[in-house]
Amino acid sequence: MRAAIEAFDVGADVALLSKIHPVRSHSGAAEGGINAALGNASEDDPEKHAFDTVKGSDYLGDQDAIEILCDEAPGDVYQLEHWGAVFSRTEDGRIAQRPFGAAGEPRTAYAADITGHVLVHVLYEQVMKREIPAYEEWFAWKLIEEDGRCQGVIAWDILNGGVKAIGAKTVILATGGAGRLYTGTTNAYACTGDGMTLALRLGVPLKDMEMMQFHPTTLSPTGVLITEGCRGEGAYLLNGDGERFLTRYAPNAMELASRDVISRAEQTEIDEGRGVDGNVLLDLRHLGAEKIIERLHGTRELSMVFAGVDPIYEPIPVRPGAHYHMGGVETDLWGKTELDGLYASGECACVSVHGANRLGGNALMETITYGKRSGAAAAEWALGHTTVTVPESAVADAEREIRTLLDRRDGERPHAIRDEMASTMHENFGVFRREDQMRRQGEIVEALRERNKRVVVDDKGSVFNNDVTQALELGFLLELAACMVEAGIARKESRGAHARPYDFPERDDESYMKHTIVRWRDGRPELDWAPVRMTKWEPMERTY
Amino acid sequence: MDVALKIWRSNPETGERELKRYEVEAPEWACLLDVLDIIKDQVDGTLAYRKSCRMMICGSCGMRMDGRAILACKERMAPIVERGHVPVIAPMGNLPVIKDLAVDMSPFWSKIRAVKPWVDTGYAEYPEREFVVGQEEMDPIHKEALCIMCGCCVSECNSMESDPEFLGPAALAKGFRTVGDPRDGATIERLQMLNSEHGIWDCTRCYFCNERCPKGVDPRDAIAKLGAESVKEGIDGDMGAKHAKWFIRSAETTGWLRETELVPKTQGVVSALKETKFALSLLRRGKVPIPVPPHVADKVHEARLLREVVHAQGRLGAAGHVQGEKALAKLDHHLADDDGEEAQ
Repeated sequence: MRAAIEAFDVGADVALLSKIHPVRSHSGAAEGGINAALGNASEDDPEKHAFDTVKGSDYLGDQDAIEILCDEAPGDVYQLEHWGAVFSRTEDGRIAQRPFGAAGEPRTAYAADITGHVLVHVLYEQVMKREIPAYEEWFAWKLIEEDGRCQGVIAWDILNGGVKAIGAKTVILATGGAGRLYTGTTNAYACTGDGMTLALRLGVPLKDMEMMQFHPTTLSPTGVLITEGCRGEGAYLLNGDGERFLTRYAPNAMELASRDVISRAEQTEIDEGRGVDGNVLLDLRHLGAEKIIERLHGTRELSMVFAGVDPIYEPIPVRPGAHYHMGGVETDLWGKTELDGLYASGECACVSVHGANRLGGNALMETITYGKRSGAAAAEWALGHTTVTVPESAVADAEREIRTLLDRRDGERPHAIRDEMASTMHENFGVFRREDQMRRQGEIVEALRERNKRVVVDDKGSVFNNDVTQALELGFLLELAACMVEAGIARKESRGAHARPYDFPERDDESYMKHTIVRWRDGRPELDWAPVRMTKWEPMERTY
Repeated sequence: MDVALKIWRSNPETGERELKRYEVEAPEWACLLDVLDIIKDQVDGTLAYRKSCRMMICGSCGMRMDGRAILACKERMAPIVERGHVPVIAPMGNLPVIKDLAVDMSPFWSKIRAVKPWVDTGYAEYPEREFVVGQEEMDPIHKEALCIMCGCCVSECNSMESDPEFLGPAALAKGFRTVGDPRDGATIERLQMLNSEHGIWDCTRCYFCNERCPKGVDPRDAIAKLGAESVKEGIDGDMGAKHAKWFIRSAETTGWLRETELVPKTQGVVSALKETKFALSLLRRGKVPIPVPPHVADKVHEARLLREVVHAQGRLGAAGHVQGEKALAKLDHHLADDDGEEAQ
């Protein structure tokens, strides 16, 4: 939506296309906040923000991209506020900011624990104000490539059925993450990596796909997100013995160490038998009822509804869960991909500002700053070109393909493949990774992809057939899984979210301070490397 | 656990509509949405419903359970199963059904758009930094800002059932979201629009929207706050506004509702005269007291005190500004209910 608003304001003719209504987007589930060096709670500046982000990325983030993010962040947050975002306030009426993991200053601007919700709605308000048309519940299934340019999208109309083609001079992918690759995930059902696979299928490269962030506090048993804001407000993490175990892993930053560090610590405690039924405990009790109700109301509600635990009186059972894909479609500093006319921003893109580990509060900021930049760049490109060609064969081919799927009567339905993919990814490509497990996972994914070629959908109808779109989503996910495994095996070191304690426990800047690049060639992922762009920060040892 | 439920299935392509019973095995922690997923996976892939976040924030999975609007991801099944109850699942009300549990939300969104739901600062140039606004000035719109646009309130709205043109609780709550925002500069225009036909005074105050909102937004309270703001700004031409004004005046002067005066004050003298015959017959049958001299309640000061209390609450309203606290209170209540039934 941020990209659409910018493109509209630059003067382009814009439409949004989304498989769910725009306000249902999963950015709305982001709770804790958005990072910008406003300096409302302490002396802060963009350079400090940039350093924290570079260090947090385990030196895999591209430093030019990070500097742009941190420099433009304050202005972009003010703009959101002027558009009407309901931020929490300081005593003197400024935007309130709270401490967040691995940040040197209290930099995370927030709206209680519903920051993402507030921002998604304020963006949609701006979309309504501009009367930007939205194709709601249109499922983007293929990109149209013609004359070496991306020239539109082929979509399945969920409400009415049927394959529809929309020609466009430029397409911006903003489809979010792919957390549904895993059993335990904070991600919505909609997070199936669609945009990444759409780009991949046109030969556009994906970057750093092995970097899947595991969030340290996902609620047991369902995996919904418990915000880092809890720890920002002072919550403790305890093991089964009631010990604040982070004293042994991150003695300085403790609960506010970076996410990869805490997730590994938790997983170690759980694996070594110091957990509580496969969880650790997030203790908010000492914060007091008033603070919990005022600033962490949503967290309390989630714990009460989904775990039957009221955090005012009991600690919350939490564990690491798949949360955020640092990797994604490779783009330049304006969101442009390798293919003319195709842009990407937000979680589905990899600029890269998060490198091997994202800091809490930087994801919302990236969607805004790089959404804006890609919107501006795409609009400029579109205004400079006049023709759009949608070859009839593209639509005919898509129709034939969907017909084949719908007409198939004998075979397996997709859900078993989906569940097997998600549980094996969790098992073999989770917080800790072993060479043999990753290789096995490669074979499993290969076999699942074979099975997926012959799946059958139950619903043969046209109206609101999401049985068919869910089958197509599974295809997206399986290709991404193959890319992740390929990149994970190749990176023979431990960096950020990619932890190989059994064979390569250290970071190896000599050989691996570089991005993995994956392209799709002849039905399988092909690996390459790209250098990290550095500006002023030399790699240092990373401790918290 | 073994879960049984009945779902209203409807297929627009065949025109069939039927209440079908399903029985599946589900984990103890399952919510209604998880059970629907199991049915779609294992029993019937054609079952249509919306879902996304499964954490009560995206607003996709509004539907009805036993006749009341809910979010499917929020309703835990275990207490229902323990009771041996077989709930009936149906699509939301007041919106056209597309298929099974999926409704057409376009009438919902057109009403949201009708209230121009964006903050309009009226500034050509924005200040370099943020607007400086105290938390206490922002507090009155916190509950309205919580709205996830799921449509549960609209589903339950009694006024909308008889007047589909009524703006409805979600759009009006959104209306207060901007009217109550100290940064907004279009208050008067907004209030005038919200006071027109199908606006705030068409609400019948049944409180179903407050009762069923899964997020504690309390749309009816927002409508009341819009009424108060309108009267305060002198936008009180609607009969509803006049009625409300006289109601308060009557209660604080005598502690009683003086019906004989209420009608002319609300409808105007001419219109009230037409009701004379009806009024006289009410009087004859002792349904209304003789209007003169006005009867003053013994403890009229209590009525006045009540007025003062409400006045002092201002925009925050009785529930206070803590976001969604009432929704949680309801949750507690809900659990207590289940326990109560178990004890029996």
